[in-house]
Amino acid sequence: MNLIIAWIIFGTLVGSVGTYLLYDERKRNAEQGALLGAAVGAVGNLVLLVPLWVYTFMRGEGEGDQPVIGRDPIQPRHFIRVALYAFLILMMIVYLLPVYTVLMTSLKPRAEADDLDTVWNLPSEIEWDDLEIGSFSIRMPVGYATALEEFGPQLKNSLLLTVTATILSALMGSLNGYVLAKWKIPGANVLFPLMLFGMFIPYQSILIPLFQFLNDVNLGGTLYGLIMAHVVYGLPITTLIFRNYYAEVPTEMLEAGAIDGAGFFGIYRRIVFPLSLPGFVVVIIWQFTQIWNEFLFAVTISNEDSKPITVGLAELSGGEAVNWTLPMAGAILAALPTLLVYIVLGRYFIRGLLAGSVKG
Amino acid sequence: MKRPDVPHIMRQGRLIPWFYLLPALAILTIYVVYPTVRTFYVSLRNEDSSGWAGDTCNDDETCFGVLENYHKVFTEDTAGAKNVTSLYNTARWLVIVVPGTVILGLLFAMITDRVRYTAAAKAIIFMPMAISFVGAALIWGFVYDSDEKVGLLNAFLVRLGFDARNWLGLAPPSGTFLLTVIAVWVWTGFTMTLLAAAIKSIPGEVIEASRVDGANEFQLFFRIILPQIMPTVAVVMTTMTINTLKMFDIVWVMGGRDTDVIATRMVSELTESRDFGMAAAIAVVLILLTIPVMVYNVRRFTIEEARR
Repeated sequence: MNLIIAWIIFGTLVGSVGTYLLYDERKRNAEQGALLGAAVGAVGNLVLLVPLWVYTFMRGEGEGDQPVIGRDPIQPRHFIRVALYAFLILMMIVYLLPVYTVLMTSLKPRAEADDLDTVWNLPSEIEWDDLEIGSFSIRMPVGYATALEEFGPQLKNSLLLTVTATILSALMGSLNGYVLAKWKIPGANVLFPLMLFGMFIPYQSILIPLFQFLNDVNLGGTLYGLIMAHVVYGLPITTLIFRNYYAEVPTEMLEAGAIDGAGFFGIYRRIVFPLSLPGFVVVIIWQFTQIWNEFLFAVTISNEDSKPITVGLAELSGGEAVNWTLPMAGAILAALPTLLVYIVLGRYFIRGLLAGSVKG
Repeated sequence: MKRPDVPHIMRQGRLIPWFYLLPALAILTIYVVYPTVRTFYVSLRNEDSSGWAGDTCNDDETCFGVLENYHKVFTEDTAGAKNVTSLYNTARWLVIVVPGTVILGLLFAMITDRVRYTAAAKAIIFMPMAISFVGAALIWGFVYDSDEKVGLLNAFLVRLGFDARNWLGLAPPSGTFLLTVIAVWVWTGFTMTLLAAAIKSIPGEVIEASRVDGANEFQLFFRIILPQIMPTVAVVMTTMTINTLKMFDIVWVMGGRDTDVIATRMVSELTESRDFGMAAAIAVVLILLTIPVMVYNVRRFTIEEARR
């Protein structure tokens, strides 16, 4: 642990020194110097921190912190092993190649983006543009500035939708999970399969009545309608994850609370809820990525003012793409929140996935 | 569903828990059970649900009465709507994506189980799962650009000395195949993660023992590992079948009429033609296709729950 902290401090220091040196050297053009310096600093940090991240990730794998029971691999003979590594590296390249070119294209000036011969190359220069937000103005590559200007309202819609729906469905799921895990109720054996059906059912089967219903109550095309749909159809999975999580909480603890005079809700609020943080982390990450990336509800229920980012992006690809800089920058902006969540909290992300498909 | 560990004191309130479950229960009934039933009903009605589906039939054509929408789903294949093609395309998706992701996922899971330090490879292969399908479709739109002078695939082919071509403009079924590649790219990480977890949980002694008995890699895989992880393979296959049947995003973003699948046909009936009857009929076909798989999944889940 100490080693990790030392490493982080060291990495930050090296990055900052790089930043300062570059800034110093480029004093004549302070703005560009600072930007370039910051970029070098960030890269310096990444170069130092990424191996560290990989290291902790791999160590964590053996510690049983993952849903997987750790076992050392049973390794085959030497030459086969080399072949397997070669294959894995090749596959990693195949997987990363589209992502790499997308990133490069999003940074390139317009004229360069469509050239077949330079698709692989780094951008020859980065064109900058000022993005005005209120009284602020931020300098960024031209593709991103255009994308932010174009998709700003949709990113805001997505954020509003995702945060609200995630929090609501997580809270309701927690309460449901508590009841299902700890209270004996007649008919639970009917309710549970019903909930599972709710989880597995294709949204298409409820889409038409939902569409008609939202129109009837004048919520059609609004963000509220979309939020409601996501809360309701997120409930089965959040309930299931919390139910499995609370099943592990010793019942004696709740009993103690009951003896002390806490009622149904008192037990939940004072004993169960404070224990729920890890459950909430898994559920919130899961719901956040699902709702942020969702498209079917988004494209059918939203209208021009309430459409989330996925719809905006999809419309962009509908027109014959004359220039790839904007779509690629947009794709990266739209993928950034969920990608960051995955990179930083991948372990919980996978745990949610396992809870949703195999078992908790 | 007996819970012997529930203490006496927790059994006191028989009604109160129901009271707290009521919102969820009511919501599920209102939003899952009722709408599904209603979808069946709407599928028998005409485009704005003002009359029965067969009301507008001409006398000189075969008409299936209230089932007229289903008649259309399985026959009409005109310039405007390619219903039959979309059914075939969904079949193509199933045939490619389900075995494709499961076999590739198994391959990756086996390899990452064999060698050390594979966390980075796993993380990268899983990464597309964190991106939206819309984003993935955009990224791959760049790979298969319709302009022969642009696009990653063309750039790659030209580098190797082949000719560039308009990939998405090729004769019909090929577009579907190109789109399934995207789905395989996205979902292999998912199948790999689940299958790797299953393989990891096989005790090392079992594998060592079979090695001592002289089993080679293939015998080891087919005789020892595969039978042990069969339950997980079944889960992954059923989940992938449902995912593929309801596949919508990639096709909607990238496809034209020739690559339509059931799910995209339904949404175009709903949002473009505003024909609720047809949209509902297509939805019902989709539900009927998923129900056997869903029943299997729910039963397995419930059995697992009973074992807890």
